[in-house]
Amino acid sequence: MSVMEVSTLTTVAFWVASAMILSLAVIVVTQHDVFRAAMALAGTFFGVGVLYFILSAEFVGAVQILVYVGAISVLMAFAVMFIQDITAGSRPSQGRLVGAAVAVLIFAALAFTAYNTNWSSMDEITDPFAVAALTEGYFEVGTGDDLRVVTEPGFTSEEVLIHNDGVLVDSTAALGVSLIREYMLAFEIIGLLLVATLIGGLLLMRDPPSSDEDEADAQTGGASV
Amino acid sequence: MTIENVLLVSAALFAIGAYGVVSRRSLVTVIMSLELIFNGVVIAAVGFSRFTPAAALLSDDPLTAEAIRSALTGHVFAIFVTAVAAGEAALAFALVFAMFRATESLEITDASEMKN
Repeated sequence: MSVMEVSTLTTVAFWVASAMILSLAVIVVTQHDVFRAAMALAGTFFGVGVLYFILSAEFVGAVQILVYVGAISVLMAFAVMFIQDITAGSRPSQGRLVGAAVAVLIFAALAFTAYNTNWSSMDEITDPFAVAALTEGYFEVGTGDDLRVVTEPGFTSEEVLIHNDGVLVDSTAALGVSLIREYMLAFEIIGLLLVATLIGGLLLMRDPPSSDEDEADAQTGGASV
Repeated sequence: MTIENVLLVSAALFAIGAYGVVSRRSLVTVIMSLELIFNGVVIAAVGFSRFTPAAALLSDDPLTAEAIRSALTGHVFAIFVTAVAAGEAALAFALVFAMFRATESLEITDASEMKN
């Protein structure tokens, strides 16, 4: 398959995924039945995961499907089913018109910025070795100061391939190296944050004090006043 | 498919999420809209990683492994945002349950007092 064919195919896939994401997202914010909104949200998450694959971010796409579609959507569905009051549905608030106006303004400003900024392009990378490392595969040899990047031996690299045809072929391995070198501290802190979240969630979900204790508190409180 | 197209989708998802946050009364729907906003932001980060070169790759300095890996900063960003969003969702639902237990309601307007 030539470069051109791949490019057309990914463009079509991109617009299909985008249309799916945006239409399901509109259902999420307009649907009165909260359970249906949760299902539409799961579809949106899946579409975003597909979009990451199209943008050659395979590992991020896999994480998106595992964490969002697999965990957060289930949490949402659980929450919707757990809370009995849900038959009342999700009523719109008074700020709906203002919200729509603000949303349109935000979108207009972001779209205007996106189309009126001169973004730098991958074509500006002139170092042939960098182009080769990004498009043909990425390997590291040596340690410490002797660390060097090599590409697969015997590759045939064309610089034009970097344009719209995938960046950092071996992205998952490079991402793993990145997380334990440059972003080590952030990686540890995010682990701490998740543990704190777990404990905090358990603490909030704990059974409230029994009514006997409440009454006892109220009596002592009342007596002391 | 260009960086502009990706940013357009990202901006649209962000705006839809922002509309959802202010236009709904149910706390559960507001949290869902927040997740849409998170996803919109992450799409932009991954799009930048895909279409715009890292600064280290444009400089005239000798090429290093760090410079090559800096092409993935957007992916690292995406993973951290996803982790924070997962924690946020779990904690937010714990708060929703706590509020539901205290007030028997899920509407944002009923949550105007800090002490139940």
